[in-house]
Amino acid sequence: MAAPLPKRIIKETERLQNEPVPGISALPHDDNARYFDVMVEGPGGSCYEGGVFNLELFLPDDYPMTAPKIRFLTRIYHPNIDRLGRICLDVLKNNWSPALQIRTILLSIQALLGAPNPEDPLNEAVAKQWKENQAEAIKTAREWTALYATAKK
Amino acid sequence: MSRDETLSEKSTAVGLAPYEDARALVRLIQCTQCSRPLRQPVTLPCGNAVCRACLPDFHERANISYPDVPARRRGVMCPFPDCGREHPASDCGVDVILSKALDSIAGIMAEHTMSASMITTIMEEIRLDDTEALDADSEKPKINKRPWSRLVATYDIAAKGQLPYECDINYIHSTSTSDTGRAMDAAVLQEILDSMHREVDCQICYNVLLDPVTTFCGHTLCRKCMARAVDHSLHCPMCRRSLAIPPVLSRHPSNCTLINLLNAMYPETMTSRAEAVATEETGGEGELNTPLFVCTLGFPHQPTLLRVFEPRYRLMIRRCLESNREFGMLMYNRYGEPQGDLGPVHFYHYGTMLYVTNAQPFPDGTSLVETQGAYRFRVKAHDVLDGYSIGSVERVEDVSLAEEERLEAEETALPPAEEGDVAGHIDRMSTQELLELGQDFVRRMQGRSAIWLRQRVLDIYGQPPDDAALFPYWFASVLPISDEEKYKLLPTRTVRERLKITASWIRRIESQRW
Ligand SMILES: [Zn+2]
Ligand SMILES: [Zn+2]
Ligand SMILES: [Zn+2]
Ligand SMILES: [Zn+2]
Repeated sequence: MAAPLPKRIIKETERLQNEPVPGISALPHDDNARYFDVMVEGPGGSCYEGGVFNLELFLPDDYPMTAPKIRFLTRIYHPNIDRLGRICLDVLKNNWSPALQIRTILLSIQALLGAPNPEDPLNEAVAKQWKENQAEAIKTAREWTALYATAKK
Repeated sequence: MSRDETLSEKSTAVGLAPYEDARALVRLIQCTQCSRPLRQPVTLPCGNAVCRACLPDFHERANISYPDVPARRRGVMCPFPDCGREHPASDCGVDVILSKALDSIAGIMAEHTMSASMITTIMEEIRLDDTEALDADSEKPKINKRPWSRLVATYDIAAKGQLPYECDINYIHSTSTSDTGRAMDAAVLQEILDSMHREVDCQICYNVLLDPVTTFCGHTLCRKCMARAVDHSLHCPMCRRSLAIPPVLSRHPSNCTLINLLNAMYPETMTSRAEAVATEETGGEGELNTPLFVCTLGFPHQPTLLRVFEPRYRLMIRRCLESNREFGMLMYNRYGEPQGDLGPVHFYHYGTMLYVTNAQPFPDGTSLVETQGAYRFRVKAHDVLDGYSIGSVERVEDVSLAEEERLEAEETALPPAEEGDVAGHIDRMSTQELLELGQDFVRRMQGRSAIWLRQRVLDIYGQPPDDAALFPYWFASVLPISDEEKYKLLPTRTVRERLKITASWIRRIESQRW
């Protein structure tokens, strides 16, 4: 027997559908309203441009007191995202605030794609490459985007 | 109502009608100091709001050494006579939500006053204080005339500074029918409600603010949402400034301007919201309404001391304190043993209801919770609420005294047990002998200065009780054996059964099989 879904999650879900953010979508599963299939487009002008990245997002029991759990399902070459798709983003950890929401988190992730931060790496190898040979790193990121993140229709 | 007391959520909100109560509605947003609609309102720590510009001058505060922050060294004397305290300058931030709500209202009113309507409202000022009428100027009551419906006209004279806060208005009949005026005012109010609606939603629960409290930085949340937020982080969820609220949140006054405004404007929403929260907190009617703490073993009539640090359990304890102060204590099922109909759940399904006698919060957010065991129960169903377990439980009670006696008579009349049959021997002992066996054991152990019977332990649990029904609970509380073994007392239905369990422990200890 499941506890009723908090009003907050219902409203957030409604607003995500009714006032969508360009380049971002999040759809809850029919059988689990706390589990979302997320799609984020690589920002224009970045080495992820043209890519469509799939993520999974889960709202834990005490959401919004704790941050959503979120990870990339699509492979991505990025210094702040590891091989398991985990994301190093302050607002998902210490800087989470219950006044943030799914929408703002996804926007932050999209912004992270536009501004990789090799100084605070989660993926050491990628971060090293990024610092030592940025041109090469960006080229790899473009190749991975074309390889793994081009929309399959 | 005293402004110091926090407003009850259970009260039913009484709405104000835009036409009949136009004067009262406008007063809700008037500054008590300048009588104009509040501009850049500051909600003070006492819950009263005043225009930022209407705050008295700041002065240096005397005898303040902690916390030593520049903004706390200066203060203002509260202009509200029912408060009259000194508020630190740092606590006088502009109230963000109230500002936005007032801006919405001002915007709509401005649109309506751009052009004349078909209605004229004539307002005669009623001074409450008779002595003022003796002034030369005010021999005749002041008359104001505006080419708009009542609500707009009343707001306008307030905005022009022509409506003192305390004054009432006698609306003098004008050319239009009252029905037309009523309809127009209803439309104006509806516009305001629609535009204010999103502003007055709580940023955490996304519902309209219930019992709002405002931080020194001017941010507002429902009291319960604020309490949950500070359980997790001592920073304002909106601006991340460090908050000093937590230890006194329960006494932090509500934002009375917002409460009065919301109750007057959204009476149905506010009433149903208060009811919904009340139901939510108890988890529905008679069903999954018992908060459960899966932690340790507790016994009836025995104290259990807990250090609570996880936010979810702090929330649970706080809700307990606000309701009947009881929660169910369950032991963790570390070996995953099946628990009746529930299967191998993470707790043992028999537990003890604990009553919170004292909860001492510490500045770091943890608390020391003192409890007293009330009664035993069994979990029939369980779920999760905001991260902690809740359940529907049934009490576990002893059989009647008549049945207890019958059982004793039956067992003591059995033919003698064989030599070496310890359990059989215990079965045949009278209830009184079983109790004496325990008491005697305790005396002998005290004679040998057993560690588990030191004064410090007795200070907490008291001397062994004479009541045979309770002795085993006391004994289990002090005896250093495994919790899984002690747990056997919880499902028992007779005094004898419990005493036989304690007797078996004693025999095992004596034969040094432990
Ligand atoms: Zn003022
Ligand atoms: Zn005050
Ligand atoms: Zn709230
Ligand atoms: Zn703030």
